Amino acid sequence: MRLHYYPGCTLKEKTTNLDNSTRAAMEVLGYELVEPENWTCCGAEFPLTEEKIVGLAAPTRILRQVELEGGDKVVTTCSFCFNVLKRTNEALLRDPLKHKRINTYLRDDIKIEPLTKKKTTDFPEYSGKVWVLHLMEFIKNEIGYDKVHPLLKRELKGLKVAPYYGCRLLRPAEEVGIDEPDNPHIFEEFLENLGCEVVDFPFKQECCGSYLSISLPDAASEASYQVLRSAKLNGADVIALSCPLCYYNLDRRQDRIKEMYFDFNGFPILFFTQILAWALGVDEDILGLDQHYFDPRPVLGITHKAEVAS
Amino acid sequence: MNGSGKKKNVGLFVCHCGVNIAGVVDVERVAKEMEDYPDVEFSTNYVYMCSEPGQKMILDTIKEKKLDAIIVAACSPTLHEKTFQNVAELGGLNPYQVEIANIREQGSWVHSDKEKATEKAIKVVKSMVEKVRANESLEPIEVGVTRRALVIGAGISGIQAALDIADHGYEVLLVERNPSIGGHMIQLSETFPTLDCSQCIMTPKMVEASRHPKIKIMTYHEIESISGFVGNFKVKIKKKPRYVDENLCTLCADCEKVCPQVVQDEFNMGLSFRKAIYLPFPQAIPGTYTLDIESCLGLWPIRCGKCKDVCDVEAINFDEKEEIFEEEVGAVVVSTGYDLYTMQALGEYGGEKYEDVVDGLEFERILSASGPTGGEVRRPSDGKVPKNIVFIQCCGSRDPENHNPYCSKICCMYTTKHAMLYKHRVPDGNAIVFYIDVRTGGKKFEEFYQRAIDEDDVLYIRGKVSKVFQEGDKVIVWGVDTLTGKKVEVEADMVVLAMSMVKTEKVEDLLRKLKISTDADGWLAEAHPKLRPVESLNAGFYLAGCAHGPKDIPETVSQASAAAAKVGNLFAQEKLLHEPTIVPVIEELCSGCGICVTVCPYGARELDAIKKVVKVNEVLCEGCGACAAACPSGAAQQRNQTDDQIFSMVRAILKG
Repeated sequence: MRLHYYPGCTLKEKTTNLDNSTRAAMEVLGYELVEPENWTCCGAEFPLTEEKIVGLAAPTRILRQVELEGGDKVVTTCSFCFNVLKRTNEALLRDPLKHKRINTYLRDDIKIEPLTKKKTTDFPEYSGKVWVLHLMEFIKNEIGYDKVHPLLKRELKGLKVAPYYGCRLLRPAEEVGIDEPDNPHIFEEFLENLGCEVVDFPFKQECCGSYLSISLPDAASEASYQVLRSAKLNGADVIALSCPLCYYNLDRRQDRIKEMYFDFNGFPILFFTQILAWALGVDEDILGLDQHYFDPRPVLGITHKAEVAS
Repeated sequence: MNGSGKKKNVGLFVCHCGVNIAGVVDVERVAKEMEDYPDVEFSTNYVYMCSEPGQKMILDTIKEKKLDAIIVAACSPTLHEKTFQNVAELGGLNPYQVEIANIREQGSWVHSDKEKATEKAIKVVKSMVEKVRANESLEPIEVGVTRRALVIGAGISGIQAALDIADHGYEVLLVERNPSIGGHMIQLSETFPTLDCSQCIMTPKMVEASRHPKIKIMTYHEIESISGFVGNFKVKIKKKPRYVDENLCTLCADCEKVCPQVVQDEFNMGLSFRKAIYLPFPQAIPGTYTLDIESCLGLWPIRCGKCKDVCDVEAINFDEKEEIFEEEVGAVVVSTGYDLYTMQALGEYGGEKYEDVVDGLEFERILSASGPTGGEVRRPSDGKVPKNIVFIQCCGSRDPENHNPYCSKICCMYTTKHAMLYKHRVPDGNAIVFYIDVRTGGKKFEEFYQRAIDEDDVLYIRGKVSKVFQEGDKVIVWGVDTLTGKKVEVEADMVVLAMSMVKTEKVEDLLRKLKISTDADGWLAEAHPKLRPVESLNAGFYLAGCAHGPKDIPETVSQASAAAAKVGNLFAQEKLLHEPTIVPVIEELCSGCGICVTVCPYGARELDAIKKVVKVNEVLCEGCGACAAACPSGAAQQRNQTDDQIFSMVRAILKG
């Protein structure tokens, strides 16, 4: 089955492991992921000023392209892209004037085919009706765990996973929330259905430091350390997440965290799609486990031995 | 008799209401122009018609001019119609020969153009002359009163209301859905601001109610339905099977010892356990065991039946069945109490997740001498004495965006009490209270709060808590001190959430069946927020206690006594008088189509199957006129508001 999939820039550069594991897992589940043609960056941040229309141009273009290609829904895995795309739709539907202005603005787009030099102008209006879904939502509601269970190839029993939501999946709850912001379950449910043991930890919705990573790196290190420490304290083997920025702060930042906190010796981080793909029997090499700062392979390796012959 | 169309001597009295009316309407011109209108025998104006001299002028004129009817052009009839009807009666007129022309609320107050407002006032007065010309003299409909009250809910409010009504000399049925009377108050430890032991002051009331010859206590009973009208209600009551004869049970506790089924004890808020056959608490009234059928293994001796085997007095009867019976009462006091907002709704405080995060009522049980810890402050998870305890106020209150918009009113004081009692029992412990405001509006409340700070060293931090989570055996509290602008982190051993009071879900169905009006938050609505605070809009229903909104004990008791006094007023009347301006049926015109039966909101009309005409229960009819408007054949004519009268009024207005 064909399914529109918006990877976002980070997945093509820093976190190809997220992209590759998503594709591999979805292939096993029977989906061909199609990227909308000529997709651009989503903008990474949803513009918070009311009058800033131009910030909505990029995400609206992406959604319009999906619509042009006949898609009615688009799936993302990056929490930031999901947040921006979904909120853009919400903003357009809530404010008809804004909807009209952005469509007027985008009508003047010009597309030139590189080979034929053929020009396309007068783009149609975007209706605001493309359904933006996070992959976790898609698997839960559109595929259904009962369809996933028979395809599971590897036993993950005993793997203690702490689901880390971060902020973008849950807030602002009334616009994007894929679950209750203060008491979410969707990630836990996802992991349980893959056979993992879920570890609840109080920092699962706390901030990783986000973009402070650039302006105040040590503040981000401190925030990330608290998350890592709490997961470890609660008995987790590994943290699962869906956001490339959280991944950067929690994994890549660990060399600095080690310098700052003597009690910290590193902790494995996995994307939720890596766990999904692993459980579905995808080959280790595709998952990009060697890209991680802290090697997560031993954690999966333990389970690797208990693998059920496929 | 003053039939329609006959000549009547009508007197017109135009009121200035100071400048309220006279500031916009030229009252002198109204009175002057009306002098020549047919049937108007006398017309005048005066500054305050409702004043003593104003009333006297009307009275004298009625006698002097031998008036048959009067019109007072003044404020809305809801304010002074009664006043002028009384004056008319003193002058020998039938009160239904009085009409009010509203030229204030629907005149001077909503218009500014003097000329037009005056012309409108004249038209309104003219239309009232047309109406009053055809008014019949009516006598109120008399109804008997059943001098017996029903009180729903036997917490402190229900018990107090029942005691007061019974002391007036009237019989009371006190119905309670739980196995014992007592409500929430019997669960409390000590009460603010005096630190009286709640049980010590509550149990005498309970005993008094149970011994009172005029009070019939019906515990483990529920109301099925109430029909009828003020003074004459019929109540269907369901008796739930208790499977234990309360007259035979000797409280020997043998049955409890052998019962194999262990469930959470709701009296202790789930902090301890009870058996399926249980006594809710030692002072329960009636003093009898109750078999909770939902937790019981089953009523067949093959399955279990251990309790029946050991009961020497043979009080246990597995064959008991649910019964529904009918009682007649004249008034109903609704005192169904409150619930606490669930901790689950505040996921960020983890009340459902962490054992050592408890709500206010759970902490009351922990503090209570009869509680699961015998009054020692010990936390639920491991029984340790908490050395650092955090109280969080306004949990679910004063938060219109996410939770309840209202102030739960009692939490500031009970949290102060909690902190104080904690410090009395754990003097070396730290009690920290996070608050938005401390509201101490009550007698000796502010002094109590100051005492907690000054004498008991309770630390108050102004700010909200963002998150509570477990780390090791500590409960970490993240908050903010808004006075210093600093983030605060407390490593607590235990956290108490002052959960908001909310309406009881359990009685929602009942209230819907009774059609008792509630406000936006689900609390019972009073007839008037200031002047009729203990009456429901539904005649014959009275409100007491927290079912009407959050209240502390003194306020609850006052309201219960006030409701009882109102019931007394009702029962003291020889006969109840009902407005006669109802809508009867002209049988010759009625086709028996039944349309009026379906539109009547009071269930006052029914189709006579044999005569094929509609019959009206005069007492149930409130004279709203819905049927008169719906009747296609003109058979439903409201008294003193007939179609002919309305048409003549319309003509008078349109004529200019």
